[in-house]
Amino acid sequence: MLQQKSMGKLIDELRVKIIDTLNLEDVMPDDMGEDDQLVGGKLGLDSIDVLELVIMIEKDYSIKIDNRELGAKVFANLGALAGYIQENSPEASH
Amino acid sequence: MTFVRVYITGMGLISPVAQGVSETRISLKTGKKGFRPISLFPVSQENPPPVGEISGSFEPVGIPRTHQLALVAAREAMADSGDVPDAVVMGVTTGGLATTEKLLKRGDKSPELYKYHATGSVAEYLAREFKCPGTVITVSTACSSGGAAINVALEMLRAGKAKKVLVGGADCLCRLTYYGFNSLQLLDPLGARPFDMKRRGMTVAEGAAMLVLEGHEEFPDNAIAEILGAGLSCDAHHPASPDPEGTGALDAMRAAIKNAGISKSDIDYINLHGTGTIDNDFSEARALNRLFPDNKPLLSSVKGAFGHSLAAAGAIEAVLSAMCISDNLVPGTIGCDIPDPELHLNPVRKPIEADIQTVLSNSFGFGGNNASLVIGRPGNERAQLSSKGPSPLFVAGSACITGAGDTDKTFTRILKGLSCKGTLTEKELSQDLPGRTVRRLKRLPRMALSLAIASHNNSGPSDMPSSIFLGTGWGSLSETYDFLTRLYETEEQFASPTDFIGSVHNAPAAQVAMWFKSTGPNITTTGGDYSFEQALMAASLLEKDPDETILVVGADQAHETLSGLLDRSVLIDNGLSDGGGALCLKRSKTPSGLRVSPSFFENADNNPSVIPSLIKNLGGPERINDKYGLVLSGIPGAYGERGNRQLDQFLSGSGFKAPVIDYRKFTGQFASASAVAAVLAIRLAQGGEIPKEFCGKESIDLHGKGVLIIGLGNFVTAVEVLR
Repeated sequence: MLQQKSMGKLIDELRVKIIDTLNLEDVMPDDMGEDDQLVGGKLGLDSIDVLELVIMIEKDYSIKIDNRELGAKVFANLGALAGYIQENSPEASH
Repeated sequence: MTFVRVYITGMGLISPVAQGVSETRISLKTGKKGFRPISLFPVSQENPPPVGEISGSFEPVGIPRTHQLALVAAREAMADSGDVPDAVVMGVTTGGLATTEKLLKRGDKSPELYKYHATGSVAEYLAREFKCPGTVITVSTACSSGGAAINVALEMLRAGKAKKVLVGGADCLCRLTYYGFNSLQLLDPLGARPFDMKRRGMTVAEGAAMLVLEGHEEFPDNAIAEILGAGLSCDAHHPASPDPEGTGALDAMRAAIKNAGISKSDIDYINLHGTGTIDNDFSEARALNRLFPDNKPLLSSVKGAFGHSLAAAGAIEAVLSAMCISDNLVPGTIGCDIPDPELHLNPVRKPIEADIQTVLSNSFGFGGNNASLVIGRPGNERAQLSSKGPSPLFVAGSACITGAGDTDKTFTRILKGLSCKGTLTEKELSQDLPGRTVRRLKRLPRMALSLAIASHNNSGPSDMPSSIFLGTGWGSLSETYDFLTRLYETEEQFASPTDFIGSVHNAPAAQVAMWFKSTGPNITTTGGDYSFEQALMAASLLEKDPDETILVVGADQAHETLSGLLDRSVLIDNGLSDGGGALCLKRSKTPSGLRVSPSFFENADNNPSVIPSLIKNLGGPERINDKYGLVLSGIPGAYGERGNRQLDQFLSGSGFKAPVIDYRKFTGQFASASAVAAVLAIRLAQGGEIPKEFCGKESIDLHGKGVLIIGLGNFVTAVEVLR
């Protein structure tokens, strides 16, 4: 239960960070569904946006995503991204 | 009818593999690889990917490394060449940026230290060293710059604008490109392995290559190879990733083959762009499989040995292509152990000997800018090409932006004799552009896109433009500055891929091409205060279709920190100004309305008779007084004294009686202010009258006369707007 709650919080946090990082002025946080495709979906994101998010994730969550195959999996949708962060967060491993 | 053929009569190069043609020949035969860990600047990563760094330091001290490398190559190319070149054309993407990076990191704020920053300063430096009195052009189309520069030089020679051109490309390693490609995850940790199954990316490198090209009707004894043709295209697909279908690459190769007047079966060897990135090699292979569905010529990429030296690459590979012909040699694709079966290509892996008569060489870059060259054995028989030259350019539409606002706002003020200095906000610059389109764009690309769209709208029902030419003195300063600032603030930990892609000088022109789906030539010229004139000149030389619509844009952005450090002209005004102009032009064999012609472009250095030469080129005093009802003169603030002297000399030499107006008084100081002047000239010529508030006397009827725009200072240029 606790994990689910923090997962929801993490997803909300990511929504705001993604809009901010990618300058998505016309997108509201709630427009981004947990299972919506991030790249090539309605947000109009592409590989450059993914790389910009890679840096945001490394900076803010200390998690490196340093190859394209991994990136494609992790940035499939918000849920996958949040799941990956939770699993690999240095804090979570304590 | 004369038929000028273009020969390589001298060449020189320096790369991580070797210095000079002789050493390079040995390296090609042995398959030597030039990769090692970077030592030019400290890097933050634990296991940094290798780079193609040239060992040793170079002369003269105090000149940026790119300029030094270009000089090494140029000296070798010019060694057996008696005369001075009449033109210098360079492909450069970073210029003196490696030096600027160090200065910014140290916090050095003296403009004198930044005087070799501009990409255009490399060509200007070589022009000075080799006493070139003529045209100097810098092409900055990212990784296709070297190939595109050779294309421009080829057409200058064919058109008789020069007899001998020193042309090439140069780039040294710097933080922007190293960390930039790293942020795109495009650097192979083991070094580039082009077309290999396990390839992971490119190896960023440095180098320079220069060629002496001469136009002759008869085959000269000292010819090493002949440039048979060249072709350009733009993917108009994405700012950085190649079109996976390889359509742009295919178009460039087809255009080059057509331009050379050969058939594709004449090609014996293809020097591939082959960077080693997953996407490039995929897209290039796709293009080749479409061009040669059955039997392919021999093909290989040298980037597994030389790395990718960006703007230098196309020039280096032109030199290597000439060597393949003279030595009957095909270089190996070093690093390719098991060719990727998905690519359906079988590159030559180890160097081999083969009879090579004709080579196709590819260079592709960011912005989907593609250049292909066809190089052949000199003295071979060939069919005579039609030498009618490109069609003249007529005005279909025009638009400008200044500190006062859009075209209407600018003219409302200028024609009342009021200043348009200052800068618009980023929002104002792009108020008519969709948010999704501009979300990743900073100041210069927003300006360029707004200008391009406004000039096309002003043209009424014109066709979509097929080719884009853009001149910018300084490029996207915001992206460059933001990239380096973030890099330094995070102790080289984090670099923005978006800023890196936006920082290349051709990024704004790529945005314009994507907007209009313009798949023809896409050229960005970067020649300081004469960038717009260079773009017009390139537009007049590079034709896709004899009746196409094209856009020629000139734009520069002000930047709080960098403008004052880089462009000394801005220091004479209180406060910064920026803006630009765009012309929507139509090629036509038959006259239709106002014609725009870049008529003159000479170096004021090494050229004491530059003003008499200008007067003579414009047809002498009588024609000048007869044709022009107004002269708009551009004297960059930094060359005020020299420019005013030149203007006095022009006026006394031509006896010009009509008004002469210094347009920078209205626009403020920025490198492509002449693009605003071009729009002003067009609108005044269209209106037929010069209002009195603008010319200071009574209003003047032009009586069908045109307007002459002259640029003064370190170069002297003339653009004619005539009915």
